[in-house]
Amino acid sequence: MPAADTRPQSLVAYAGVSVRRGDNRVLANVTLAVPAGAFVALTGASGAGKTTLLRLANRLVAADAGTVRFAGQDVAAVDPVWLRRQIGYAIQGIGLFPHWTVAENIAAVPWLLGWDSARRAARVRTLLDLVELPQGFADRYPRQLSGGQASRVGLARALAAEPRLLLLDEPFGALDPETRASLADRLGVLHRDQQLTVLLVTHDLADALTRAERVVVLDAGRVVADGTPSQLVASAHPAVQALIASPIDQARRLAALVA
Amino acid sequence: MTEHWQRAIAMLPDRLAAHLGVSAAALALAIVVAAPLVLLMVGRPRLRGGVLAVAAVIQTVPALALLALFYPLLLAVGQLTQRLAGFGVPALGLLPSLLALALYALLPLLRGGADGLASVPPETLDAADGMGMTRRQRLLQVELPLAAPIVMGGLRVAAVWTIGAATLATTVGQKSLGDLIFAGLQIEDWALVMTGCLASAALAIITDMALWRAETGLGERRWGKALLGLAMLVALVAGVVGWYTATRPPAAAGRPIVVGAKSFAEQYILAELIADRLRAQGLSVTIRSGLGSAVAFRALAAGDIDVYVDYSGTLWDNALDRQTPAPRAVMLATLRRELPRRHGVRVAASLGFENAYALAMPRAEAERLGIVSLADLAVRAPNLRLATDTEFQSRAEWAALQAGYGLRFRRMTAYTPTLMVRALTGGDADVITAFSSDGRIAADDLQLLTDPRGALPAYDALLLVGPRRPDLAQRLAGLDGRIKVEAMREANWQVDRDRDKRTPGQAAAWLAKRIN
Repeated sequence: MPAADTRPQSLVAYAGVSVRRGDNRVLANVTLAVPAGAFVALTGASGAGKTTLLRLANRLVAADAGTVRFAGQDVAAVDPVWLRRQIGYAIQGIGLFPHWTVAENIAAVPWLLGWDSARRAARVRTLLDLVELPQGFADRYPRQLSGGQASRVGLARALAAEPRLLLLDEPFGALDPETRASLADRLGVLHRDQQLTVLLVTHDLADALTRAERVVVLDAGRVVADGTPSQLVASAHPAVQALIASPIDQARRLAALVA
Repeated sequence: MTEHWQRAIAMLPDRLAAHLGVSAAALALAIVVAAPLVLLMVGRPRLRGGVLAVAAVIQTVPALALLALFYPLLLAVGQLTQRLAGFGVPALGLLPSLLALALYALLPLLRGGADGLASVPPETLDAADGMGMTRRQRLLQVELPLAAPIVMGGLRVAAVWTIGAATLATTVGQKSLGDLIFAGLQIEDWALVMTGCLASAALAIITDMALWRAETGLGERRWGKALLGLAMLVALVAGVVGWYTATRPPAAAGRPIVVGAKSFAEQYILAELIADRLRAQGLSVTIRSGLGSAVAFRALAAGDIDVYVDYSGTLWDNALDRQTPAPRAVMLATLRRELPRRHGVRVAASLGFENAYALAMPRAEAERLGIVSLADLAVRAPNLRLATDTEFQSRAEWAALQAGYGLRFRRMTAYTPTLMVRALTGGDADVITAFSSDGRIAADDLQLLTDPRGALPAYDALLLVGPRRPDLAQRLAGLDGRIKVEAMREANWQVDRDRDKRTPGQAAAWLAKRIN
C-alpha cells in the first residue's frame, strides 16, 4: 500500500466502473466501497450485473472504464494470478477438481503458493473442522460427496490460504433449505470470528436481508439501492419494491400461519 | 499348401518389424503436429473449425491415393532441393509413407484433443482461474488430466487406423505387412493374404488394448493398470524386434542387392529367378516386391532398387515420355541409347518374350471362323462381342487397333481380369483382351491373334540395372534372349492357377531349368 494514501481503507473499491459485452452495457458507472470486515450482499434480478461486479474484484472480468481497487491497489496494475491467490472464491457450480481428493482440492491455493506439505495437511485438518466435515473425508474424491458436502469443501477451498476477502457467487444456490441455512450460519460465524470481508452474490433477497449487514441492489447495471437491511425494506425504488414484494408477502403468510 | 504358409511365416518378422516401425514413427509425427494445433484451437472456435475441416478433407482422400500423391509431390520437391541446395529428397519408401500416414492420423488426434479440452466443465475452469492458476498450471493440472480419456480415445483410433493404413505403404516401396497382402492378392495365395491381414489386425488389437489400459489406468489413477498398458506396448515392440533379430539372415558386408518386382505373378517369378542367379554368384540379395508400376522405374533410377524387369512399351511412355509408339526395333534401340543417358539405367538383357496387349479367341472358334490375324478379325468383328479389362478402352492400344485395322465390335464390355475370362468361357463374349505371356492362354487353349500391320506397341521384357550396381549387367547377361514366351506362360500359370498352386520361388526354379 502506498504510504501517501491515508484515506480510511476500503478493502474493495469500485470507482465509476463500466463493463460492456459487445453492444450490451453490463455495468454502468458503478461506484461502491466495501470496507474491511464488511458482509455485503449483491442482489438484483438476473442479468442485473451482480456476478460481473463480483468478478471485477479478482479481475476475472476487466473493467472497460473506471478503476477497481483491492487493498488500495488498482487490480488492473497487479498480476492477476497473484491477486486471485489473495482472494477466496467460491461459486454455485463449486468446480471441485474431480481428479483431486478433498484434501488436494482444499489445499489447492496453498499448493499454488508453495506451502510445504505438512503445513498444507494441518490447514486441511483445521478447515474440515471449520466447515464441519469429518476428517475421514480428506481422502475422498468429489464424486463421493453429496451436494452439501461438496459445497462445504468448496467453501473450505476458498478459505484455505487465509484470505482477507471472500467472493461468493450463489455458493449455496443448489442446496436444500436446511443445508443452506446451516452453511450460511457457518459463514456468518467465520465472518465474525476471523474479521473476514464477504462479498456475496445472491438472487434471493430474503437471504440477502437476513444474512448480510449491508445489501446492494443492482438493476440493469446500476446500483439502485445500498443500505442496511432495514433501510432497504423502506426503499421506494420500484426495482427494490419488485424484488422485496414477494419475500415480504411470503413472510406475512408464514407469520399468519404461525400465529 | 504348407509350403505357402511356411513362405508366409518366413516373410513375417521382417515385415512386422518394418510395419510397426513406420506406424509408430507416423503416429509420433502426427502427435508432434497435432499437439500444438490442439492447444492453439482452445478458445478459438474459427481456427478449430478450419483445422478440423482441413483434417476431415484429408481423411476423405483414400489412403491409397494419399500415399500415391506424395510420390510426385516429393519428386518435385526433390528436384527443387537438388537445384537449390544440391541434395535430393527420397520420393519412395519411408518418407512418403511417413507423411501420408501421419496426415491420415491427424483427424482423430485433433478431434480427440479438441473435444477432450472442450469437455472440461466451465465451472471447473472458472474455479481454476479464480484460485489463481496460471494458464500453464490450468492446462497441466486441470484441463489435460480431465481431457485425457477423450484425448486417449482419439489416440487409440489414430493408432488403429495408422496400423491398418500402413499396409498400403507397400505400394510406394515401403516394406510393410502389405507386402504379404498385395503379393497374396495378385497371385491368389491366400496363405500370404491371411498371414498379412491377421498380423496387421493383431498389431492393431494389441496396441488398442494396451492404450485402453493405459488410458483407464490414468483416468482412475490406478497406476498399476496404467503401467500394465505401457508394459504391453513395450512387450509388443520387444517381441517384434526380438523375432526380427532372431530370424534375420546374417548381415553381409555392405547393403544387399535389391531386386524389384511390380505386383503380379510374372514379376515375382522373374525377381526370384534373378535373385537365385545372383545368390549363386555369392551375392547377398533381397527382393522388394509389390511396387507400383510407375514407382518401380523411379526406384531403380534413384538407387532404391538395383535390378528389375520392365517392358519396352511401358518404359517408352513412363521413362522416355513418348506418346506415339514406334516399331519394335526402333523402340529397343532408342531405350538402349536413351535410358543410360537420361536416367543412368542400363538395359542388361532382353529376356526373349513379350508381355503385350493382344486380342485372343478360343482356338476352336478362331479356326472355325478362319481368324488368325487382327486383319481377319476386322472382317468378322461387327458380329462379335469383345470383353476387355477395365482400362483397355481408354488406352492408346485400343486407339491403335481402331486406326490400324478399323476394328468395330458389336458390343464391348469391361470386366475385372478374372470375370473377363469367365465371360469368354460362359459365352458372354467372343474375343477378349489378353497379355501375351499370360498363363491362361495355354491353359484355356486360347489363340492370340497376330498383328501383321504392327499396330500394337511392343512390350519386350527387358532386364534393367540401376546406377548403383552397374556390374549386375555383366552378371545377368546370360539371361539375354533365353526365356521363351511358352516357358513364361507355363511358369505364370503354375502360380496363377487355383489347383496345385506353386510359390513364385518354385516357379522360378522350374523356369531356371528350362533356361539352362
